[in-house]
Amino acid sequence: MPLDRDTLWYKDAVIYQVHVRTFHDSNGDGIGDFRGLQSKLDYLQQLGITAIWLMPFFPSPLRDDGYDIADYHSVHSSYGSLEDFENFLGAAHDRGIRVIIELVANHTSDQHPWFQESRSSTDNPRRDWYVWSDTDTLYKETRIIFLDTEKSNWAWDPVSKAFYWHRFFSHQPDLNYDNPAVREQMWQVMNFWLQMGVDGFRLDAVPYLVEREGTNCENLPETHQVLKDLRRRLDENFPGRMLLAEANQWPADLRPYFGNEDEFHMAFHFPLMPRMFMGLKLEDRKPITEILQQTPEIPPSCQWSLFLRNHDELTLEMVTDMERDYMYDSYAASKTMRLNLGIRRRLAPLLSNDRRRIELMNGMLMSLPGTPIIYYGDEIGMGDNINLGDRNGVRTPMQWNGETNAGFSTAPSERLYAPLIQDPVYGFPAVNVLRQKTAEHSLFNWMQRIIAVRKSSAIFGRGSIEFLYPANHRILAYVRKLGNDAILIVNNLSSTAQAVELDLKRYKGNILIEMFGKNMFPRVGDLPYLLTMGPYQFFWFRLRRV
Amino acid sequence: MSEESFLTDDFLRQLMNVGEVDIVVGLPTHNNAKTVGPIIQTIQSGILRGFPRERTAIINADGGSRDGTTDLVRGGSIGDVGAKSKVNALRTLHSISTDYSNSSDDSNGAAFRTILAAADLLRAKACVMMSPESANIEPEWVSKLLRPVLDDGYDLVTPTYRRHKFEGLLVTNLLYPMTRALYGVKIREVFSSEFGFSSGFGSKFLEQNVWDDRTYTGGAELRFTLAAITGKYRVYQTFLGDKMHVERRGAELVPALRQTVGALFSSLGPDFPAWSVADFASAPTNGSDHQVLLDPLRVNRKRLRAMFSTGILELESVFQSILSPETVAELRRIADMGENNFRLPAELWVKTVYEFAISYQKSAINRDHIIQALAPIFRGRVYTFLTENRDSSADEVEKNIEALCLEFERMKPYLLQMWKSIE
Repeated sequence: MPLDRDTLWYKDAVIYQVHVRTFHDSNGDGIGDFRGLQSKLDYLQQLGITAIWLMPFFPSPLRDDGYDIADYHSVHSSYGSLEDFENFLGAAHDRGIRVIIELVANHTSDQHPWFQESRSSTDNPRRDWYVWSDTDTLYKETRIIFLDTEKSNWAWDPVSKAFYWHRFFSHQPDLNYDNPAVREQMWQVMNFWLQMGVDGFRLDAVPYLVEREGTNCENLPETHQVLKDLRRRLDENFPGRMLLAEANQWPADLRPYFGNEDEFHMAFHFPLMPRMFMGLKLEDRKPITEILQQTPEIPPSCQWSLFLRNHDELTLEMVTDMERDYMYDSYAASKTMRLNLGIRRRLAPLLSNDRRRIELMNGMLMSLPGTPIIYYGDEIGMGDNINLGDRNGVRTPMQWNGETNAGFSTAPSERLYAPLIQDPVYGFPAVNVLRQKTAEHSLFNWMQRIIAVRKSSAIFGRGSIEFLYPANHRILAYVRKLGNDAILIVNNLSSTAQAVELDLKRYKGNILIEMFGKNMFPRVGDLPYLLTMGPYQFFWFRLRRV
Repeated sequence: MSEESFLTDDFLRQLMNVGEVDIVVGLPTHNNAKTVGPIIQTIQSGILRGFPRERTAIINADGGSRDGTTDLVRGGSIGDVGAKSKVNALRTLHSISTDYSNSSDDSNGAAFRTILAAADLLRAKACVMMSPESANIEPEWVSKLLRPVLDDGYDLVTPTYRRHKFEGLLVTNLLYPMTRALYGVKIREVFSSEFGFSSGFGSKFLEQNVWDDRTYTGGAELRFTLAAITGKYRVYQTFLGDKMHVERRGAELVPALRQTVGALFSSLGPDFPAWSVADFASAPTNGSDHQVLLDPLRVNRKRLRAMFSTGILELESVFQSILSPETVAELRRIADMGENNFRLPAELWVKTVYEFAISYQKSAINRDHIIQALAPIFRGRVYTFLTENRDSSADEVEKNIEALCLEFERMKPYLLQMWKSIE
């Protein structure tokens, strides 16, 4: 199956996020690897996803799950070799699946040779590759991101006898993007992987590249200039490849990251995700519609990237204090479930393993404007282990079957990189791929179906959105349009049955075709269109004039 | 349910869109455009501060306003339509309105009934009634009236206020002491336009098949308080602070008497089994159960006395049908007194009121005429109260009110004796 040649492929994509370590272990050492991942590409193709986003797989001391890179040009030995990666990449492309990799551009590991050189002497040519200072008083207006572990954005280096700047963990020194050599080097890193054939980069922590006194050191014009330079070189040399921004910011602050189609192709819509959970719990569409009303228009070739869960905590940075308290009380009653400003849980446990709510949330993920990202394991409703530290509770091995080590590895179970989920509800004997593939009404089969329905229309990836605002606030209804085609989406956020009257006057004469069963619903007339909906039910209707 | 027949289709549709709620705020209105906007904002503020997570709806029952009141109410919703609201609210806060003026009953009771029915249909856990005429409503009032219901399981929460010593004289001279004496529960504001209640009590009251009786519906709020007492529901009082009304035309005494004293008198019959044997109790109170302001206030006492004397003269034949000959004679004697000596003492006032109650029960003459006939005598009592308390301190005023309450209690056997004689 050849790759789609459309340069806007990312707009129609369904992305699957996975860490190679978690997916499948081919050599029995207890750690997932590229050969293992390659062996499961048929599964991903069957699911229907069209792109894989790989978390960092580079050599690293792994003090932040690979986001502390010690070598940008190689593969961590636990995951295989560069050759293994190339083979995997080719196999993915053969199946029509694109591959997006991480570019952790803001910082390196303190074990990276660049940093080792930089700290070794103030005269070292790489001294200026990082942000050094004799005091820890600069950039005081900059917030600390990892509040639970870090007290300052400056760390004292006893070797260099100076402070270095870090926005994340203190073992992750920030690169100095005021230095042209750093900018050039980062392009060379991109070039290396692009030459190999990767289809795009997810750029980690992009708002923080440049620091300036008197600012909060986020979203600075100088940062945007760095990113624009990278984009220009990407377009000149590798047209059709994609850049995805990780910038946990309010929508208005995110808009500049798209530039005039000269910065990022895509950006995560961070504020939407917690509000989808909030709307569901409140049984009220208000949080969702409000944040989408605040979301600015983006250039035609750009796209939002939507997700329900990922490898990090469910971030609550982009909500008010009142909303954060509500989310904590609703979704993380136990303090062990909380981390930094977020909730470290997977989708199914967050939704009490309620199949109807899981389906509704995925239904919204697939039908709101943007490209959906599915976090590995959520397609079968995997659970988490909150007894594991940091965010490791949502990074446990993929559950393939009910046999030893869930089919993930042949290593002794004590050698697995992380323990398997064992509890009676989410443990691998109950929740695994094999079991779900054979059960007609499993979540996996349902996910496969909804992905197929989404892929049946370009409207979902490329269409506009128009909210309907029915008087019943428990109903979130919108029309997606592209050219003359339109799809009506109606979601019942309530745990109880609801009646709703929709104002569809402008679609008078159309009949509604329910997209999953292909059944006809009554023609739209002059009166408000009445629908009755079961708890957490949703409809996707193609509007058709016959 | 019976209430479905008096709720319009449009209102039912609005209720359907609101769906199940935790809290209903009832707001009866009639041409309150000048005040309703700020009052809704204050209510919303109270909800957002005190109950940000609860599902809440403001239900307005309007008596046919022509000044745009209902548009202001409807426009007050906090939602997502057009992103109008800058208020930081977790969830949608509906503000809906219905016009009950076309129903067969256009009294305040009909508004209350509409709100009770809405709360019942929306399965609200608690409900609070707010007045569109309170000039000094505070956001905290919402919490103060609802918290005891939601947190402590009370069924009715009545307010107490800081009032001027000469304000609310119908309450202090008749309603409070008489209900306290007869029903045995010390509730300061038995007829209030602001109160909170539980869904269980509200629904039970709604089910009572008395809504076709205009006398009853006219004073439904007072009857509601009495129903809480006789039904042995848990009643609580909460201090709200100052009570000020927006400026309005001179309060009309007779309609007020109809609505309050009429409702009280009409309740005595069905409530006889309860009040005839009632023991004295006191509703638990949060904060002061009263506070008195002593600012100077100009009152035309001369006019009050004149209206008393004229009323006694002109209505003598009516009084003869209502009151005992001794009471009529005593009232005539007082009416003839000069201004310096004029006084309608507590004992005579209580005896008169009780005889009016008996006469009302017997329907000696048209019941509405009985209520109207009380007006001049009440004015005489007001004159006396104003005179007696002109220079009184807050404590002295309260002592005098307490003495009147005791007088109503002392003479309760007289009422019981008369009552038994008519059975």
